[in-house]
Amino acid sequence: MRLLALSLILALACMLALGMGDQAIPLAEITRVLTGDPDASPVSRTILLTLRLPRVALAAAVGASLAVAGVAAQAILRNPLAEPGLLGINAGAALAAMLVIVQVAALPESVLPAFTFAGALVMAGAIQALAWSSGTSSLRLILVGVGLGALAGAGASFIATFGPAAEVQRAMVWGAGSLQDARWVKLMWIVQWGAPGALGLWLMARELDLIALGDGVASDVGQRVHLIRGLAILAVAMLAGAAVAASGPIAFVGLAAPHIARQLGGTAHRGLIPMAALCGAILLVLADLAARRVLAPVQVPVGLATALLGAPFFGYLLWSRRNDI
Amino acid sequence: MPLALGVLSLWALTVGASGFSVGEALGALMSGGDDRAALVMQQVRLPRVFAALCVGAALAVAGAIIQAMTGNPLADPGLLGVNAGAALALVSAIAFLGLDAMGALVWVAFAGAGVAAACVLSLGAAGRAGAGPVRLVLAGVVIASFAGALTGAILVLDAQTQDVVRLWTAGSLRGRSLGVIVSLMPYVLVPLALSLLVARQVTTLSLGAEVAQSIGQGQGLWRVLAALLVVALAGSAVAMAGPLGFVGLVVPHIARICVGAEYRRILPVAALTGAGLVLVADTLPRALWARDVPVGVTLALIGAPVFVWLARRRSGGRA
Repeated sequence: MRLLALSLILALACMLALGMGDQAIPLAEITRVLTGDPDASPVSRTILLTLRLPRVALAAAVGASLAVAGVAAQAILRNPLAEPGLLGINAGAALAAMLVIVQVAALPESVLPAFTFAGALVMAGAIQALAWSSGTSSLRLILVGVGLGALAGAGASFIATFGPAAEVQRAMVWGAGSLQDARWVKLMWIVQWGAPGALGLWLMARELDLIALGDGVASDVGQRVHLIRGLAILAVAMLAGAAVAASGPIAFVGLAAPHIARQLGGTAHRGLIPMAALCGAILLVLADLAARRVLAPVQVPVGLATALLGAPFFGYLLWSRRNDI
Repeated sequence: MPLALGVLSLWALTVGASGFSVGEALGALMSGGDDRAALVMQQVRLPRVFAALCVGAALAVAGAIIQAMTGNPLADPGLLGVNAGAALALVSAIAFLGLDAMGALVWVAFAGAGVAAACVLSLGAAGRAGAGPVRLVLAGVVIASFAGALTGAILVLDAQTQDVVRLWTAGSLRGRSLGVIVSLMPYVLVPLALSLLVARQVTTLSLGAEVAQSIGQGQGLWRVLAALLVVALAGSAVAMAGPLGFVGLVVPHIARICVGAEYRRILPVAALTGAGLVLVADTLPRALWARDVPVGVTLALIGAPVFVWLARRRSGGRA
């Protein structure tokens, strides 16, 4: 029921995002274009099919990927503040992408998601390894993640100072987190890399419920805790890698969406994962709409918009849990 | 130690796009002539070395005081968002008010640093448990990313300002004239001297509230004073070189390893070490690859691993 309502809201948000722009398109016209009606005007057909539709679809897909990655990260770290962005996983993926874009410009673009996945995975592994001392604590994981995130960010800037100017310019636009260059091929990356990760996490939903209760409880009921945690990290890296490859690092969606979903639908992961995915998609579609319309014709990178919306939300979470952490 | 710093400064003067020997460098500085070497020295190299020394000393002392004040080994003006706040205030002043006099911008930076510090400390210290290291770092991350995003948004919208502050937002010492640096120096040196004067009280702060009370040191007054010093030091450092992270984190630890827990010794040692660290971080890339890497980047590459190491060590017991 709630899923249906959320889907409706998402559809509404998408319609809004499709209709609004420098050239406003009325709802009737959108439906004509989308249903392939020959009466639709060629102008609005071009605007919708080559510009707005890919962008809205990509925003929804990236938002959903980040949200599901956030749910899994919060479950395995047992920390409501965990987020792929905060933990430095996005920064690792961004560093890998920076390397590819700036240093080996000859490579085809299609290898980008593989590299960002590798970057995210290496980063997740490094955080896990460095935070390990007779088991991991979520406290150390966060601190180590913040540190490694800063390191990866500095590494990316370091590469930028040595690269040729044109490639660096391209990489900088991408690094701010932008959906401006939305194309269908990018959506394919998310389907190829992100969807299996999300599906895997959903199939592991019961295991995630258990691991969220604590390592002790989980292993007492016979769960192979380290295997599950490793698999979940792999899935998070796939999701984060795909999202970063498509749009650059976008912060705070992975933090906010799971919280909203939890408010709506409880904590069991089988229901939580699809809800969070829908919430993330709605959030990013709306954030991208705001980023492109609030100061039109200037387009603010959507990564900045989510940070401006998300940081106060994070502050509120920190404040409301001031006695727990 | 001051001797080592002198030698480092000389070395920094000789390294760059056109290399000079030590003798040539000194000669060009002393002669005050207007041949090419003298111009390079006076207009490019000397202000840069001065800036590196000031910024390094200011940030290191600010870091030491903030660590003493919060009892938190992971505190750093960069990590806690104080630098980001100062940078946001500066960029908005340039973009919206059209300010460009350094004398006025410094005060703007102080205000920004002050507001950010107040936000982080109150958000981080709320709750029964007080300001634990993680809470403070997380609050700092929030404030820093919010201020950073606002700064980014302003720069996206305002190409002209973007052009003025582009290098500076990455944290760079390049392209500062001697006049600007000299006019900013009092704003660094006065709080620096004040910090050294109150080093005894800083030591007491670092021992915690109960000890301070039992030896009769008023809590509120000295805390506020220490916070003001941090704000002044961080603000003027940001005005000089942009938001540089990790100096204030790393250097106090080095100083503590060298001279123990007494802040009357830590603060001067931290000031010298910080000055040296920033100078080396600024000069080394030029010497090694003949490239000008923004010093903020180099510092993060050095500092982030230290942060990770500290985080591992300090949070060992608490799972």
